[in-house]
Amino acid sequence: MRERVLTPKRRVYLAWFLLHGLLIITISAREIFWLVAHRLTILPTSFSSTAQKLESIASAAIAQDLASSNPVRRDLLAYLHVTGIERGYGYFAPNVPGSYKLVFELHYPDGTVGYELPEVRSTAAELRLASLLDEIGRTRYDALREYLVKTLAGPVWREHPEAKRIRAIVGLRNFPDIDEFQRGARESYEFLYAYDFSLGRDPPQTKTP
Amino acid sequence: MESDNWLAVLRIGLGLQVLLYALSLRSDWNYLFAGTDGGMNARALSEALLSSQSPLVPRLGWLVTIGSAVGLSERGVLFLSWWFLVCAAAGLLAGFLSRSSAIIAWFIHLCVAKSGGLVAYGIDNFMTIGLFYLMGSPLPDRWSLDWRRGGKAQAKDPRLSGFLRRVLQIHLCIIYFTSGIAKCLGSDWWNGSNLWRALTRPPFDVLPPEVLVHGEFFFPPVGALICLLEASYPFLVWSRRTRLPALLAICLMHLMIGLGMGMYLFALVMIVLNLAAFGPEFSFRLERKVFAWLKKSPASTG
Repeated sequence: MRERVLTPKRRVYLAWFLLHGLLIITISAREIFWLVAHRLTILPTSFSSTAQKLESIASAAIAQDLASSNPVRRDLLAYLHVTGIERGYGYFAPNVPGSYKLVFELHYPDGTVGYELPEVRSTAAELRLASLLDEIGRTRYDALREYLVKTLAGPVWREHPEAKRIRAIVGLRNFPDIDEFQRGARESYEFLYAYDFSLGRDPPQTKTP
Repeated sequence: MESDNWLAVLRIGLGLQVLLYALSLRSDWNYLFAGTDGGMNARALSEALLSSQSPLVPRLGWLVTIGSAVGLSERGVLFLSWWFLVCAAAGLLAGFLSRSSAIIAWFIHLCVAKSGGLVAYGIDNFMTIGLFYLMGSPLPDRWSLDWRRGGKAQAKDPRLSGFLRRVLQIHLCIIYFTSGIAKCLGSDWWNGSNLWRALTRPPFDVLPPEVLVHGEFFFPPVGALICLLEASYPFLVWSRRTRLPALLAICLMHLMIGLGMGMYLFALVMIVLNLAAFGPEFSFRLERKVFAWLKKSPASTG
């Protein structure tokens, strides 16, 4: 029988494998615990408190309860980012979220009003723009939302420098379910937020917060 | 002994993926990733958030700083980054300077993905995962130009190749299992509503809902099948008996996602990772079976 020797090199590989695997499992599990803790799943609400505890254990295991300046937390986060394992894999889970729409209302000095959507040229970039719109719609932080809307308003203003004021309107797109669709219902919008930008003659300048 | 065919699949597949990724974003590269110089400047916020987490994560800001030190504008740095990515992709496809190409592709893509964190989605994570494993793998593989140019002499420990393949296999199993469990916990995957919503939600609404509505009766079983396939993937793909059907089913699912939701590159990276992890030995076994069948068939004997 062949003898298996655990050389120092193999020990390093084994240790890395255990650490790497444990991190992947912890991050993936934490996401599921978060969903259960926030009562977003079909599990009874009694599971919520247990899931909350498990989520905090998982967060502690990946150093999330340490201060943001802690070197262990910073180094670990860097490792998670460079290996691509910093987030879980619950895409479109437990349910498919709604999507958002951003419309720019351009007000000109002569009183006319024009409408523009944030535009990209390629389909691949459209998918990325949708991620940003989702972030704008979902964030609970108004300052962040305003900043993100401004990032998209900047290029629109550069395209239309003669506009005096831009109103950005964020809405939730409501698409009917299959039964409603069959009964004739179509996509509708729910108004969420509006921002007015009027920085004199200059386009809005985005600054690092 | 572990063959390195899987590594060739990973290298060529990711080379193609990186090339298509760069080409698909060419016209919007500046808009998405530049600062005030023609872009939407989301990079500033992404990088500020990243710095608050860890200063060690690569980002385009590093390259812009280095570029400005040698007199290059931000636009120039972005232009060069795009070309470096394309060249690294070409290197991976051909197997020319395989390891350097893998490192450059991983680094530039990571910088772009992290600086464009606000406009990133799942594809970026999977590309980082794939490129990270490729970078650490014992390149060159026997199908590369490097191998023909004398890389045989540098042939690495085949056990390391097997070990990294096993890590990729386990990683994929965890991905599908947790993704499947998370979907199983959503009520609307079982009645088909989520599938309908995913296919009609902009920007994934490639197929008109007027056409989709005719498939009304397929939504509940297909939704349930997706949940069950993903959650049972580790068990099905690990057993030799069920590996081929599981692999074909998951690749078919990704193909359908690609075609039905316009997520072509997401589909490609998932198929590449699956084929690299569980594919090659199969395809060769399948080839043997096909050849054996051809030998036996009357057409070939006649």
